[in-house]
Amino acid sequence: MWKLDPFPRLRRAVRGLPPDVRLFALSIAVVVVIAATLPGCGGAEGDAVAVPGHPDAVKSSASVRAQRRAFDGAPPVIPHAPFGSKCTVCHSKIGAEVPGVGFAPALPHGDGLGTGHWARCRQCHVHATNDKKFVETSYLPLPQNLRHGRRAYQGAPPVIPHQILLRERCEACHTGPGAREEIRCSHPERENCRQCHLEARTRDEFVRVE
Amino acid sequence: MHRRRFLRSIGGAGCAVVAFSACDREKADELADSGVANVDHADLAWAKAPCRYCGTGCGVEVGVHDGKVVAVRGDEKNPVNKGLLCVKGYHLPSMLYGKDRLTHPMRRGADGKLTKISWDEALDLIASKYRETLEQHGPEAVGIYGSGQWTVFDGYAALKWIKGGMRSNNIDPNARLCMASAVMGFVTQFQSDEPMGCYDDFESGDDFVLWGNNMAEMHPVLFSRLLETRRRRPHVRIIDIGTRRTPTSDHATTYVEIRPGTDLALANGILHLLVKEGKIAKSFIEENVVFKRGIEDLDQIGYGCYDDQAERYTFKDKGRDSSLEELTEFLEAYAPASVSKTTAVPESQIRMLASLYGDRNRGTVSLWCMGVNQHTRGTWMNNLINDLHLLTGKISRPGNNPFSLTGQPSACGTVREVGTLSNRLPADMVVMKPEHRAKTEKLWGLEPGTIPAKPGYHAVDMFRALSRGDLKCLWIQTTNPWSSLPNLSRFERKPGDGRFVVVSDIYPTPTTEVADLVLPAAAWVEREGVFGNTERRTQQWNKMVDPPGEAREDAWQIMQVAKRMGMGDLFPWPEDAWHEPMYDEYRSFTLGTGKDLASYHELKKARGLRWPVVDGKETRYRYAAGHDPFVKKEKGVHFYKAKGYGEKAAVWIRPYHPPAEVPDDDYPLWLCTGRVLEHWHTGSMTRRVRELHQAVPEAYVEMNAQDAVALGMQDGQRARVVSRRGSVELLVRVEGRGRCPRGTVFVPFFDEKRLANILTLDAMDNISKEPDYKKCAVRLERV
Repeated sequence: MWKLDPFPRLRRAVRGLPPDVRLFALSIAVVVVIAATLPGCGGAEGDAVAVPGHPDAVKSSASVRAQRRAFDGAPPVIPHAPFGSKCTVCHSKIGAEVPGVGFAPALPHGDGLGTGHWARCRQCHVHATNDKKFVETSYLPLPQNLRHGRRAYQGAPPVIPHQILLRERCEACHTGPGAREEIRCSHPERENCRQCHLEARTRDEFVRVE
Repeated sequence: MHRRRFLRSIGGAGCAVVAFSACDREKADELADSGVANVDHADLAWAKAPCRYCGTGCGVEVGVHDGKVVAVRGDEKNPVNKGLLCVKGYHLPSMLYGKDRLTHPMRRGADGKLTKISWDEALDLIASKYRETLEQHGPEAVGIYGSGQWTVFDGYAALKWIKGGMRSNNIDPNARLCMASAVMGFVTQFQSDEPMGCYDDFESGDDFVLWGNNMAEMHPVLFSRLLETRRRRPHVRIIDIGTRRTPTSDHATTYVEIRPGTDLALANGILHLLVKEGKIAKSFIEENVVFKRGIEDLDQIGYGCYDDQAERYTFKDKGRDSSLEELTEFLEAYAPASVSKTTAVPESQIRMLASLYGDRNRGTVSLWCMGVNQHTRGTWMNNLINDLHLLTGKISRPGNNPFSLTGQPSACGTVREVGTLSNRLPADMVVMKPEHRAKTEKLWGLEPGTIPAKPGYHAVDMFRALSRGDLKCLWIQTTNPWSSLPNLSRFERKPGDGRFVVVSDIYPTPTTEVADLVLPAAAWVEREGVFGNTERRTQQWNKMVDPPGEAREDAWQIMQVAKRMGMGDLFPWPEDAWHEPMYDEYRSFTLGTGKDLASYHELKKARGLRWPVVDGKETRYRYAAGHDPFVKKEKGVHFYKAKGYGEKAAVWIRPYHPPAEVPDDDYPLWLCTGRVLEHWHTGSMTRRVRELHQAVPEAYVEMNAQDAVALGMQDGQRARVVSRRGSVELLVRVEGRGRCPRGTVFVPFFDEKRLANILTLDAMDNISKEPDYKKCAVRLERV
């Protein structure tokens, strides 16, 4: 009798996997399906998302962002070929549109822009010249998540949900064409961000010591 | 699958949704609130540690979750780096988690394969082999080869076991390949090792002279401090003296290109002008300086690699008293015109350097590392740099110091301070002096006469002795000599050679490939430790995660073997709490000597403290009145450690000698070897880090564009680099990040499949016995 089995190879492949991997694959599949049904979420835009106000432009998605750093807080690798000029020509205070490449995000580091201790970009950011590994790794970073800060009540300014780590120029990531939707700031004109948004250094509550 | 891990994988998937979609805020919040992916950096346990890699000793905070290191961040409270790291430091977590971590002891069978054995079997085997060898061949046939990456505990355990337990002086570290010349420079002049200055000089100096030192890549965070100083005080100058243009030269105020190996002529040329133009500090010299002159006969000294010296290099320098008049006369031969001819440095630049050192209104800091140390006359060159500062009085003052940089995290703390060298004992003591041996024997509770007076093998001779068969038992810890020794092919091992080689490491390396027994070591924050950095800063960290499998720390391995050899009395501390009492015993060597270390309690709290630490207070400037608690003078300096020179520092007269091998018709190019920013030493750790490996996946030969045209070679091709010792096939880089002048090539040494050290020559410094990895002759062949 004819049996319904549209993907025999997939079935055999899945059966060959260890149970925990199967579980993981299933969880991914479920989440992806759910994701595809969410408004504004399309599996098709896996690598790129639209840039608001620039109808034809796209930028890399947050998952690509996550691939470019070992963990949240690690300096990202340089995803493009070396152009033979100073990094700060494009990665300036406001960033720049580079024809044929994309939008070069603004420099997030503090004062001095490309001078003094910020003069050596490639001390921390290295080119990924290939995608091979020397040996496999079992390193597992925490999930990288562009989360929002907690707020005391609706309407209260959220606390900064990430570590600053020498990225003092909030506007570099939270404003402009390079900013991701999830973390885009609605009021860049106020400039002094940390007047209202604080960095949470601990989750402990205050305890008075006598 | 562990439930928690499964949850995390779901968490990862949940995060991916947030990531690959452009969900609006509510949706993202919903996902975050649903309990997945909710662990973030505020939930991690953060604790301080020094970085695992270089001698800078940057502070990091290590983030631990679920028994694993998941993140690091620069420690803003650590004055060394104030929150900044380099790319290696930022990627420390995955260094621990390469899939090929060694997790069980393994023994090599008759078939040449490694098979798993238990710790008891492994430790019993080592104990029986060492005992057997001691009985049959005596203490000169056993040895241990350690590392500047040993913690203070590992080094101290090794030193006590070999010198106090086995009555052998055959202990030497890879640091002999790295900074031994700097040690001998300080020892011959101040009779006490390690710099008088500290990193604070990077903010207070005006002129920074880099002698053969690519600081931008090798000590990036310190170079950042220099660049920041120049940004804040634009009159600051950075002078880069080098044999090739590097990223350091790109940022230097002035680049001085010098012919390989001629730095002694340049330094003498500067001294010539200083003396001639009366720019030396006469009253300072009268008060604080004596003059010395050693053996200068080239035939007598040799290079440690030709004729008889190719088996054993034991040259010993002999100093005699000299004078400023003799120095003045000696320097007659180093007039600018002749120095310019030798060094290829224009006369104008020699004069510029002399006026810089001679300018009393500007603070001058000299910085150097491997270019000066890995040098057939490395100690001499260290002497001349220190001479420049002694003769101008620019020493032991803020912003005025000779400051040698180091390459390993505890080259200072362990090797130089604990004294894990064939000739040394803790806190500046040496085995040759009866009173030093007596003090050590007393503190260790040993019979007088236990420690032998004759120094053991220095690193290169140790491996030559192993090849010859004079050394039968060797334990190698935390280092990879089969990548890092010069002229590697001489050290090939043959199966059944009757030697017994144990290797403790965290990953397989070319060295574990030749080992008879491989032991898995605990790395970095998988154990408690203490490192000492370049500026005398001692830094402590606690154990944060368990090592993988059965891996154990090096000191534990040594103590277990010692116990099995009946030497357990050397380590009388409880098995679960030996770190602090061991440190306290070691610290007792340092108290009252001017090298006083902080208490363990103080170290646990502090982001490191710079010795001498007296009454909990650290010292920024040694020998300086008002800074060093051992100087009783109101002002000025007092070189109180130099008892042999009447508590004055010695200025040594040192001539220029040519390198051991120079290019000729058959081998027309100079080869310089070194590191790149992304990889640390032999790459056994950094290559396991995806980002670092992908940035620089393999070694290459960097060459000059005109040479490439002349040889018909192009960027991206492969070429064979051939020396008299061997050949390696490498990718050609025409003017990469560094730019070699004509007639020179550069090869980094991190790549275990393309070993630069097959090419290098085992020529050595005559005093420190440190090999010269920077100068030999090669040719390039097309493939």
